[in-house]
Amino acid sequence: MSASLFRVLWRHELTCLYRNRVLVVLFSLVLVVLLAALWAGSSQWHTQQRTLGRIRAHRQEMQDSLVQRIRRVEAHGMHYPGFIWDDPTFAYNTARNEGPQYAAKVPFALQALVAGQSVVQPFYYKVYITKKQQLVHESEIDNSYLQFVGTFDFAFVVVYLLPLLLIVFTYNVVSSEREQGTWVLLKTSNQSIAQLTLARLGIRYGLFTLFFWAIVAPILAGLVGPAFLATSNWWWLVVAVSLYFAFWVALALLVNSFSLSSNLNALTLIFLWLVLGLLVPALLQFGLDRAYPIPSRIAITTAERDAINRYFERDGQTLTQEVFSSPRTLIRQASVVTPGMVYGYGVIVYKSQEIKDAATQQAERQLYRQIEQQQVALRGWQLTSPALLLQETLSALAGTHWQQFNRFSRDVDAFRYRTQRFFYPKMAQESTYRTFTVADAEAIPQFQPRVYADYHWLPIGPSWLLYAGITAVVLGVGYRRLLHATW
Amino acid sequence: MLRLLISKELRELRRTTNAAWLLAGLTLLVGLALYNGYAYYTTRSAFLRQSQQTTYAQFIAQGDKNPHLGAHFGFYAYKPTADLALLDNGVEDYTGNSFYLEPHKRGEVKFREVSDATALRSFGFLNVGYFAQLLLPLFIFLLTHNLFSKEWENGTIKLVLSARVSTGQLLAGKLLAAGVVVGAVVLLLALGPLGLLAWHLGPSELTPLLPTYTCYVAGLLLYAALLTVLGGAVSLLTRNSALSLVMLAGFWLLGVFLVPRLTGELARRTHPTTTAVEFDDHTFHDMQYGVGHEGTKDERRTALADSMMAYYGVKRLEDLPVYFIPITIEAAEESDGRVMDRAYAAIERNEARQNRLVQLSALLSPFLAFRELSLHLTATDLDTHRDFAAQAEAHRRRVGRIVDAFYQKNTVAGNAFWRTVPQFAYAAPGLGWRLRHAAGPVLLLLGWSVGAVSLLMLAKKISL
Repeated sequence: MSASLFRVLWRHELTCLYRNRVLVVLFSLVLVVLLAALWAGSSQWHTQQRTLGRIRAHRQEMQDSLVQRIRRVEAHGMHYPGFIWDDPTFAYNTARNEGPQYAAKVPFALQALVAGQSVVQPFYYKVYITKKQQLVHESEIDNSYLQFVGTFDFAFVVVYLLPLLLIVFTYNVVSSEREQGTWVLLKTSNQSIAQLTLARLGIRYGLFTLFFWAIVAPILAGLVGPAFLATSNWWWLVVAVSLYFAFWVALALLVNSFSLSSNLNALTLIFLWLVLGLLVPALLQFGLDRAYPIPSRIAITTAERDAINRYFERDGQTLTQEVFSSPRTLIRQASVVTPGMVYGYGVIVYKSQEIKDAATQQAERQLYRQIEQQQVALRGWQLTSPALLLQETLSALAGTHWQQFNRFSRDVDAFRYRTQRFFYPKMAQESTYRTFTVADAEAIPQFQPRVYADYHWLPIGPSWLLYAGITAVVLGVGYRRLLHATW
Repeated sequence: MLRLLISKELRELRRTTNAAWLLAGLTLLVGLALYNGYAYYTTRSAFLRQSQQTTYAQFIAQGDKNPHLGAHFGFYAYKPTADLALLDNGVEDYTGNSFYLEPHKRGEVKFREVSDATALRSFGFLNVGYFAQLLLPLFIFLLTHNLFSKEWENGTIKLVLSARVSTGQLLAGKLLAAGVVVGAVVLLLALGPLGLLAWHLGPSELTPLLPTYTCYVAGLLLYAALLTVLGGAVSLLTRNSALSLVMLAGFWLLGVFLVPRLTGELARRTHPTTTAVEFDDHTFHDMQYGVGHEGTKDERRTALADSMMAYYGVKRLEDLPVYFIPITIEAAEESDGRVMDRAYAAIERNEARQNRLVQLSALLSPFLAFRELSLHLTATDLDTHRDFAAQAEAHRRRVGRIVDAFYQKNTVAGNAFWRTVPQFAYAAPGLGWRLRHAAGPVLLLLGWSVGAVSLLMLAKKISL
């Protein structure tokens, strides 16, 4: 096709779309939903950043307070004026009070685009020697009902809404010519109808995609800073989303090539959207749940409790006798708490936690193995739905995939183990009971917060290359059908 | 004449291959939704029932232990699967269902299934509720979008109007014909789960569920009818199938996906939830330094010691005829409990404000109104969840009191004592309670029905 013809087509498309108000209405709609999604995503990102700032301040405050309090006790001949359970020179007290540290997963800038698992997985934990988070919630506080309703983010707009708008943009490229009676005119021209249609769809795709990125890139840079533009995550995201749009345009060409009415074209494309966007994922979930059933966390708890009971049937009795029920540490049957009691509690907590951890470890491994198997199987099947493939890709690139949260969680487990190894020996030093010093306070293990946005475990390149191939085949079939159209 | 009109419409529909494909696909989906719902309901209800027995059996068989240590071993209160979760599992997977009954610590419902789910979960869980809320409207709109417009497009409108049929009859005939097809799908949705429930539960356990089930079906019928009328009204108003389809599909998209999610985000921004860090800070501060004129923890403890010594006329704590430590622990538990109650109540108040905003958006979407009704009637809503959490927390405190009373006099508790601690049992509130909580969605559905009929009347006036 010559450049001059392309220019004519370009002008024709713009005039057509402008005159029937599709361009204005559609692009206004795209603008509004994108602005809303970017606003929602970036404000969530800022909230998380603020929370991390608060955590840093909190950590400093607690550390300063701990050091000052220990210094005060040491300066007054180890006399602590307050309640003995708050005395920081007992390692057990510090392990409960100022000792627990926060472990945080720093949100990557692209998280403003894709909420992914960040809605249901914690991005920070308070790490106690007994568990990752205690006292309050097992994860960040959020309204379950709002989680059930779902998030309105860029990923939702791109995966669900924009294909529909693309359908509106492309469903009648051929059929409208037939319905308006201009088809015969086109047939009599010396240009290939297939080439003309392909070029028209290409122009529409180009317009749509360019407009889309022209909004997203600068606004996102303005909202969360431009640093993400230098990451490979961003450019893969651009490739994946642009290819996803191309797939829907190719599908529109194929449907148009069947010489159906505009009405039926729209129906067919909506039906395909429904199948690929909702039904295939629903069916996959159905199949994967049966193939790799995920054990309930209740079962883990039951196993843990069984182990504790078994322990107390054997040597736990001695522990109870020697520590918990010994007159030295008997809390309830006394009027004044003694240092021995604080020590006794520390030992009980330490011993029973070791049992709990050992019992939970195996069940937890099984749980994560099953989830991992589901994830791997999902990776194999994700090609059955471009919507699913895009969802997986986007969350991996934004650092909000289950895999990344799981990695963070495992790092926190290792950190918790380190914290336990730090406190346990100090808690169990019976000789003095009060062994925690300023040097110890300064040596409390810290978690290094970092971004988890590595995506190399997901074959993004091959998957999208394959989809580019599928898109090319769909385009090719549609083109050939138009080329040999006899209607 | 009406019968003739209905049979003409149905014949026309039957001859259209698209409708046959649509119905076949739909039946397959309903079958899948039923199987999914049934598997979810039976597996989970049996598992949770069994787990409740196991956790209690572990507690009462823990052997000789220090009572306080035994109380810390505690047991779980599991929220039983809702009696109609086969229809709709609502927010169940998002709230968790395990509540740890342990002293000193305000319990919280844990183990949300959704935390361990893959990304597929974000695409929804196909069951009857999902089908009715998401797919049924689309099917109805695909069926009705050209109910009237095709007469204009085919040029048969003059023919139809010149026949011995009034415009009212024409309207009723076409809508009833669509109603027959929609009714068949609704019947399948209503009878399928009922049959599965009857098979699983047997007549004696099914009978108490029937009033609630009947209300659900009535709601579903009203919802399907209003959507049918709405689809017909738009078709009549536009007299153009393509335009009608775009409008109805757009309305569906907005109502099902856009409005609730966008309102959810708005609710998050207008009523921001406190973070766990802030919650931790505030509750720690309130426990340590007291609220208002309560005084610090140390001051409260000193005041308590002074009052106890004055009461017993002694000068040293060691001379008290009772143990002072258990008294301080109980006093601390009481004051800490108040702090936690206040903090949790604040969170719940905020969540209620957020939820109200989302639920209000049902003014713009009948799909949301039906979803709310469905959640409330199947007891898979947040209100029922809160009721469970409140009862579990009350049980936790009850267990604490029983153990504390025993501990004042004994240092070792055996299985004979553990068996005196009552098991936890939860039954979801009855139909009256559910309907009271669902009053808003019911009114909104009725409002939407009136609106749909009014639109149809307007369309009739304009087009016929």
